[in-house]
Amino acid sequence: MKLAATVAALGMLTAACGGSDSDEGSGGSDGGSAGGDLRIYSSEPAFLVPSAGDDEPSILVIRQLYRGLVKYNQEGAPELDIAESIETEDNQTWTVTLKDGYTFTNGEPVDADAFLRAWNYTGNLANSQNNSYFMGRIAGFEDLQKEGVKKNATFSGLKKVDDLTFTIELTQPFSGFESVLGYSGFFPMAQECIDDFDACNKTPIGNGPYKIEGEWENNVQIKLVRNEDYAGEDTGKPDSLTYRIFDDVDAAYAAFEGGELDVMYTVPPNKIGELESTVGDRLLKEPSSSFTYLGLPNYDDRFQDPDLRKALSMAIDRQAIIDAIFDGSLSPATGFVAPNFDGAREGICEACEYDLDAAKELYESTDGLEGPVELWANGGAGHEEWLQAVGDGWKSAFGIDYKLKVDVSDFGQYLEIADNQEFTGPYRLGWGPDYPVMETYLAPLYTTGAPSNNSGYANDEFDQLIKDGDSADSLEDAIPFYQQAEDILVEDMPVIPMWWGLTTVVWSENVAEMVHNPITDVDYGQISMN
Amino acid sequence: MGRYVVRRLLQFIPTVLGAIFLLHYLTSLGIQMTGNPARAIFGDRRPSEAQLQAMSESLGLGDKCLERVGDPCIGLYFDRLSDIFLRFDLGMNFTRRPVTDIIADGLSYTVKIVIIAIIFEILVGITAGVLAGLRSGNFVDYLVKISTVLVISVPVFVLGFLVRDMFLVNVGNSVRSSGNFPDWFAYGLMSPVYKPDYPWASLIIPGLVLGSISLATTARLTRTSILENVRADYVRTGRAKGLSEKRVIGVHTLRNSLIPVVTYLGIDFGALMGGAVVTEGIFGVPGIGREIFRAIAQQQPSVVVGITTALVLVFLVVNLLVDILYAVLDPRIRYD
Repeated sequence: MKLAATVAALGMLTAACGGSDSDEGSGGSDGGSAGGDLRIYSSEPAFLVPSAGDDEPSILVIRQLYRGLVKYNQEGAPELDIAESIETEDNQTWTVTLKDGYTFTNGEPVDADAFLRAWNYTGNLANSQNNSYFMGRIAGFEDLQKEGVKKNATFSGLKKVDDLTFTIELTQPFSGFESVLGYSGFFPMAQECIDDFDACNKTPIGNGPYKIEGEWENNVQIKLVRNEDYAGEDTGKPDSLTYRIFDDVDAAYAAFEGGELDVMYTVPPNKIGELESTVGDRLLKEPSSSFTYLGLPNYDDRFQDPDLRKALSMAIDRQAIIDAIFDGSLSPATGFVAPNFDGAREGICEACEYDLDAAKELYESTDGLEGPVELWANGGAGHEEWLQAVGDGWKSAFGIDYKLKVDVSDFGQYLEIADNQEFTGPYRLGWGPDYPVMETYLAPLYTTGAPSNNSGYANDEFDQLIKDGDSADSLEDAIPFYQQAEDILVEDMPVIPMWWGLTTVVWSENVAEMVHNPITDVDYGQISMN
Repeated sequence: MGRYVVRRLLQFIPTVLGAIFLLHYLTSLGIQMTGNPARAIFGDRRPSEAQLQAMSESLGLGDKCLERVGDPCIGLYFDRLSDIFLRFDLGMNFTRRPVTDIIADGLSYTVKIVIIAIIFEILVGITAGVLAGLRSGNFVDYLVKISTVLVISVPVFVLGFLVRDMFLVNVGNSVRSSGNFPDWFAYGLMSPVYKPDYPWASLIIPGLVLGSISLATTARLTRTSILENVRADYVRTGRAKGLSEKRVIGVHTLRNSLIPVVTYLGIDFGALMGGAVVTEGIFGVPGIGREIFRAIAQQQPSVVVGITTALVLVFLVVNLLVDILYAVLDPRIRYD
């Protein structure tokens, strides 16, 4: 159950690509006082090593312990961090120059080798690191992912020029690659860390504004103290960060109420209403970038007609379901890209709007569906109710019976059904972005044969537009191509977008200034305390 | 006595082997029926065959027998046994944490709250039971009978939530803001959740909640047992030959009445070890109960086998101690 939750939240930016919250914090290092111990709610991270940590709790700790080539500003755009410059002529070969002077807490320098060894380690199948997926664009990835690969094999696309310079060659041009580099899976690693992964996981060797005190006390707490040797300008503000680990969000909420915690990122949904009246402006609520959709088996003859797919979508009253079942804690999807992403257009998906009459009319023009339609979800994860609401909506609109298929409660097994395209009807799945480029919502899910294209959707025009966008001169030039690709999805409706999640953060009176980044969520190290 | 203990210890071996086999078989069957749990680690991103294979291997799920439904995976069983008994290696969980570490960490918290619970049961439960049993039919007896029924009928999670949200949060907040109490009380004992700064104080309330239900059972068992024994011949004999009331009750009656109670406490100790999962969840105690719950939900065979085997051992040892205690309590019981 827990794993399913983490996995659904997989990907780096799981939540909160919220717009800039100018009134909540500046994100800069000006203003506010330093000091204090910030007590933070956390669930148990999976790993504290950049190559392996791919879940939200891990990344929120890793981002204070480590720093990478780029970070994101309040607009969600990449900004140079440890990199002095990142240059490319053709979006395929990238030259990275590093700033001098950064070191790991064990004294090793943060140089070209620190990045290359980390990426080579991550990308190598023999190490089975969770973040290997994100290395997929670097040339030579396929060779590193072959069975029987040597442990010391390296990417053919990574070359060291000198101590502070290296080049990255991609398999194909990708204009958004600089943005990708801000993901924590691309952070550097010390040689000592690779030599003894387990020790480094327990007692991380970072290069960031904070360092670990003692070791990771599994399931209890992780204590970080300010790293006085940190060479960057954005030094940590609180003297220490204490991540208190809870298995159960309700217990954590009781701890927050009892004054044991200062920041609680992700509030139990049933407490949001209560908090709005009690804490006032110490609560942040923003649509997150976690996407829930109802996939349609495009490989199934019955679901071939785009008009039918649109009609099904138009007969779903998303807002009513959200209000009735989720306490209004989600925002209905009006497109295929998270609303706060650069290039997303509000309301682009007309068929995502509830319009019963139009839906009926459109449905009449198609061959229709023969009931009962089987609606799939992984059982026991709270999807039964809303699926039922969707089914009831279709039943009253089109008169087709439905049947819930929620008997698979093991998420791995459910995903295997998805992989094998064995769903016999509409199915629930989710998606979290890999990097803050709108392409992350398009290519992996709908490109022909893409790993996460479970619907079996295939459209050459779409594939070409993604390629054109990837090889555009810059990210700005790429966006129109991606938007055209999204337009095709709107017309074809390969899946039915349902809604976006909600980011909620509540903090105590000890916090003077909350700092929230639209991409990387709460920046604990930049919070100032009273 | 010594030979008896050795014989009992030898009996542990088939019990543990059998338990491990059963667990091994069931977890393997679970994987055979529902598919490779390693797949869930990749989430929405479909892994390639080679990736899935490499991940499975690294998690000890690579054996082909895990794909054949009904295959008891005998080879894997003996691999497991040799890992456990020859190398003291219980395997790893999905985040590469050695199961031995998980057990050591988790047990340290669970044992603490279970000890608090058992002490609470012994002190309060037995005292209440003795008082009620000796004064059968009077006020104390009714008080004990009614309050124990009340406690038994409140499920532990209701009690837990009430104590946490009403008492520790609300009352606790006023205690903390008043500043009239020492820190260990205001921030330790009254902390709504387990707090690493106060490793014992913050576990007292969870321990009491955990012990409350067994407390009622203990009190009732003691009461009944005392009631039965005060009418026994040996008590009448004792009184007739002029023993003091203190000695008749405190030594002879109580000692005999405790046999069923000790049996119950022994079983309860084992049951609480695994059954603390609800209490641990409510009070954020990082104990073994939650670990095993998570391991089952995520289908992590090494963790399930490791923790359960450890619990089986705890159970066996505690019950051995109980059996030895019988001989102490009742001299008529001889083990040679």
